Amino acid sequence: MSAIYEPDHCSTSNYFGKAPKGDIIPREIDKKPSERVNEIRKLYFQTKSSASVEFPYWYTRKWEELEGEVTIVRRAEALKSGFQHLTPAIFPGEQLVMGKAKYLRGSYPMPWLSEAFFMSKEDEMYKDALEAGKVSADEVTTMGQGGGNVTKSMGNVLSIAGKFGLRKEEMPILLNIAKRWFNKSVDDLGHKYEMMVPGYDTKEEIMRAVICMFDSGYTLPQGREVLNYFYPLQYGIEGIKSLCEEKLKESAGYPVMDRLYFYKAMITMLEGLQDWITNHAKEAELMAELEGDQNQKDEYLEIADRLSRLSKDRPQSFHDALQLVWIFHIAVLNEDAISGLSPGRLGQVLYPYWKRDMDMGIIDEKKTLELLESMRMKFTEIDCFASMGVVGGVLSGNTFNNLCVGGLNKDGDSAANELEMLIMESAMTCATPQPTLSLLYDEKLPEDFLLKGVECTKIGTGYPAWVNNRVGMEFLLDNFRNEGMDIEEARAWSIGGCLETSAGSWMPLEMDGKIHYIPGGSAPATSVGVHFISLPKVLEAVLNNGLDKRTGRRVYPAHDCKLDSYDEILSIFKHYFEITVEVLTLTNNIQHDIWGKVSPSLINSMLKPDCLLKGKDISNKGSRYNRTFNVEVCGGVNLVNSLASIKKNVFDDQTMDMATLMEAMENNFGYVKAGDTGAYSLVEQVRNKDNNRWAKIHNLCLKAPKYGNDDPYVDNIFKEWQDYFSKMAANYKSLYDEHLYSCQISVSTHGPMGAVTLASPDGRLDGATFADGSVSAYPGSDKNGPYALFSSATCYDHSCSQNSQLNMKIHPSVIEGREGARKFLELIKAYLRKGGFHVQFNIVDSRMLKDAQENPDEYRDLMVRVAGFTQYWVELGKQIQDEVIARTEYEKI
Amino acid sequence: MKHIDCKYYLAVDVFKGICKRTKDEIYADKEACDEFEILHTCKHCSNYRVKDEKMGLCMDKMPAYPDMNAALCRDFRLNN
Repeated sequence: MSAIYEPDHCSTSNYFGKAPKGDIIPREIDKKPSERVNEIRKLYFQTKSSASVEFPYWYTRKWEELEGEVTIVRRAEALKSGFQHLTPAIFPGEQLVMGKAKYLRGSYPMPWLSEAFFMSKEDEMYKDALEAGKVSADEVTTMGQGGGNVTKSMGNVLSIAGKFGLRKEEMPILLNIAKRWFNKSVDDLGHKYEMMVPGYDTKEEIMRAVICMFDSGYTLPQGREVLNYFYPLQYGIEGIKSLCEEKLKESAGYPVMDRLYFYKAMITMLEGLQDWITNHAKEAELMAELEGDQNQKDEYLEIADRLSRLSKDRPQSFHDALQLVWIFHIAVLNEDAISGLSPGRLGQVLYPYWKRDMDMGIIDEKKTLELLESMRMKFTEIDCFASMGVVGGVLSGNTFNNLCVGGLNKDGDSAANELEMLIMESAMTCATPQPTLSLLYDEKLPEDFLLKGVECTKIGTGYPAWVNNRVGMEFLLDNFRNEGMDIEEARAWSIGGCLETSAGSWMPLEMDGKIHYIPGGSAPATSVGVHFISLPKVLEAVLNNGLDKRTGRRVYPAHDCKLDSYDEILSIFKHYFEITVEVLTLTNNIQHDIWGKVSPSLINSMLKPDCLLKGKDISNKGSRYNRTFNVEVCGGVNLVNSLASIKKNVFDDQTMDMATLMEAMENNFGYVKAGDTGAYSLVEQVRNKDNNRWAKIHNLCLKAPKYGNDDPYVDNIFKEWQDYFSKMAANYKSLYDEHLYSCQISVSTHGPMGAVTLASPDGRLDGATFADGSVSAYPGSDKNGPYALFSSATCYDHSCSQNSQLNMKIHPSVIEGREGARKFLELIKAYLRKGGFHVQFNIVDSRMLKDAQENPDEYRDLMVRVAGFTQYWVELGKQIQDEVIARTEYEKI
Repeated sequence: MKHIDCKYYLAVDVFKGICKRTKDEIYADKEACDEFEILHTCKHCSNYRVKDEKMGLCMDKMPAYPDMNAALCRDFRLNN
């Protein structure tokens, strides 16, 4: 009988500088919200994500009643019915009211988009989805086990997608409704037609292998974009209806007739919104009736009055305007499953109202701060109901409502204002994940504004992210010139979602006889098209002659090459990558076309310039700018490090041959797989009995040149990849006949995509999470300090891509105090002046994160920056937690 | 009857809520208090036909379920 092998645990930590000693160092600043908002936040912390069936029930019922009606009108009537029947809820202490559904963290399934993923795994519909590769990502995703996630069914509550609770009594009707959408949903209809794409079988294999994370057309068809609040602010709902009625009369009987149906649909939809708002006004009156405390009673009556007015008229005050903005924000979120619906430069949109109220003494800074804190709570309450692979594997439970500050105004001067200073202050006093902040850095911004941003980043919230205004403008001018973008319009841009550069426009808001040009989004969803291709997984297929070794299935045609030169490997990689992009472009074009045909956007279309003027929804190119489809990738740094390792070890130095490297990787370099240990970074790994056999090979792979150290050997490979990728993406076209562009954010996909990828030539182990973002170094591999990392990251032109993403982790003691803040700002400026597009920070002692992993109950409010978003630690999956812990912690800058 | 069946129950999430009158935090499935007032749901409507314990039909056409809030339904007719 052979001896039982005792696994050898090895733990490391990744530091640049000396590892900290003594107690865990807390974050430097600790501010608190107002007492009222603190109570709401406490309630939030006790609240579970909850789904309900009201909206989908009434939507489906009306949809079926109107069979034969023109689709866009039928959809409007269905939406109207959904809004009319949502149970209104107003929670104690709220100053801004209304939510997506009746619960505090409410959401609901939208079976008209997709109906399979929330079925039980035994249901035939779920099995069909699994077979088609639609839910493969769900199977390999780890969901956060704490916070508001309902991870298990209990009592009268069922857990769906590992996150949402649904009352048991609602399940039978949900299944009944879902089955009514069988073969009618965007998912099913899209699938029917995407199968006609030549090479469709390859697409299914790509999905099964989790080389691609998910389709966008039926999962998150909208989002990663910036809303535009101009029309409700300028006209009020009755005003927009009047405008539509005029346009309807002009359209009836004249070409193009679709305009008639569009305006009819708009009026119908707006009537639904009016009823929804009015129902909440009545609920506020009821709450007032039941209230004993006079102050609270008066507040309820004030809410009722405000909602009654806003159901018809334009806002009269800052508070009104903020409430109306919020109503339209969640109204859009209720028409589709959406992530990354960003309020954009809200502080500039609302500034005219705020300034007038301040000048008239209607509001003061304290009251403003409390309202902004209330706004933060409302945004944080947003949940997106989607499958586990999407909501966990991509979003990490986040919804990416990005609020931008700074940038330039229409005339090219600094757009920063005092309200934005208060927005940053509220993000410190009420530190919550939403809305996340991005600071559009420009040399013209005042120093005190930048230092406010630094103060906020230092608190450890992960925001604001620092974004290069000029690089964003260059990207927009390059990509939207054909649609009329000029320098003035480019200044109106903002971040949509976590980090998607989005086109904007200046809209003329009239107040007291004066025109204020306010910025807002003027392009539809981006990060639609080709979603998250796992680059290391494509390379793995190259090395395995087109097979997915994990499942043994053939994904790509066999190349049957010997792989006896670096150039040959790179050439086959590009070939496989291009096969992937092509088939996914075509299939996603069909899905999005079906979405526009059977479930067009109405509310967002109404808001987006120039849909209302043209009488066209966003799926008919009603928006001012339409080049928004992109190719998203993940794991670029692991790809580049792997190519560098192959080039160095196999071909240049010939320290190993390809067969040996392949065998070492198949044996996971002598370690236990991450899937078996449950540890997803290289910080915590377990050696197996064959470790000695592969130790030398592994060491050579780890020591091969690594991105992030200002090493031309690997940086040249990185630059070549970037130049190739940004050019090749433009070879493909969206259904709107616009060229695609490259997009490089990982969100959370580097977790599940790493989980299905074998050990890679860079020394990364089987199942370990990839490097996050796009220009972040692989954890522990950046050994030459921040400026070397900056040089590597900026070895190519960032304006050729929609974004780039750099995450850094800095110990709080390094940037302590006023001097530390100045030093920190200089560090940020140094990167952005080199042409970096984006940098964001975790200011945290890594030991605190380890402690939080072991004692989650003591860290309910701990937030970390992942990749373009901030999330509560306890709501992150283990794959991402491990990666954040493993990131190199800078002990000096 | 349970709190969830009361018209003064304000649901915070699927497990719990707040009493609109007392402001107390209450659990959806716990026994209601003496001040209980019934929330009208589909099962109280004359247009609702029972199919089985969990499902029924509204106006003999559309599926419905007994516990759905009917407060905003224009076709709600209270059972005699």
